[in-house]
Amino acid sequence: MNIRREYGMNRAAWSYMREFGAAMLGYCIVLPVSIVIIQANPHAAWRVPLALAPVIPAALALWAYVRFLNRMDELQRRIQLEALALASGSTALLTFSYGFLENVGFPHLSLIWVLPLMVALWGLGSALAGRKYR
Amino acid sequence: MKNRLRVLRAERDWSQADLADRLGVSRQTVNALETGKYDPSLPLAFRIARLFGQSIEEIFEPDPADPIAHGP
Repeated sequence: MNIRREYGMNRAAWSYMREFGAAMLGYCIVLPVSIVIIQANPHAAWRVPLALAPVIPAALALWAYVRFLNRMDELQRRIQLEALALASGSTALLTFSYGFLENVGFPHLSLIWVLPLMVALWGLGSALAGRKYR
Repeated sequence: MKNRLRVLRAERDWSQADLADRLGVSRQTVNALETGKYDPSLPLAFRIARLFGQSIEEIFEPDPADPIAHGP
């Protein structure tokens, strides 16, 4: 409670940090375990659902974020709207542009980079939008 | 939009965190309200007015550049 107040966090942000942190911890455990098991059994039929296992903690992290959106106050929600607009808009334009560049010989990139790109831009967008109201 | 939040809060000797807790918002939001960088929604403006026992007009003052808000 005192730590929460010291960092100027309201209850919504505090629960989000706990829930998101737990989901990320789960991801850090599930990802290496699934990779090791798949590498040891490269031809097993169940390697397909196992390859998708890291998506479960990632989906839990998304759920934590949606819960946070529903509990945050109106200014925080406005900041998140601006951050999400920047993140989704620029991710769309960047991946769209790179698709055209692949047509002229740029190396093919895996779709796995879309999520980290979007998360990085969302973090940047949150920082930029938050600064306007400081 | 200008407002008297900082004065009203100081009169009660509350910190921004105290006011944030009483309004159920974050400290960042209280700060943005006090500096006039963010205008509250109508429900939040009513919560602020009830908390300080004053009307919304006694706490918030419309932008001088807005002729409609000031009337003819």
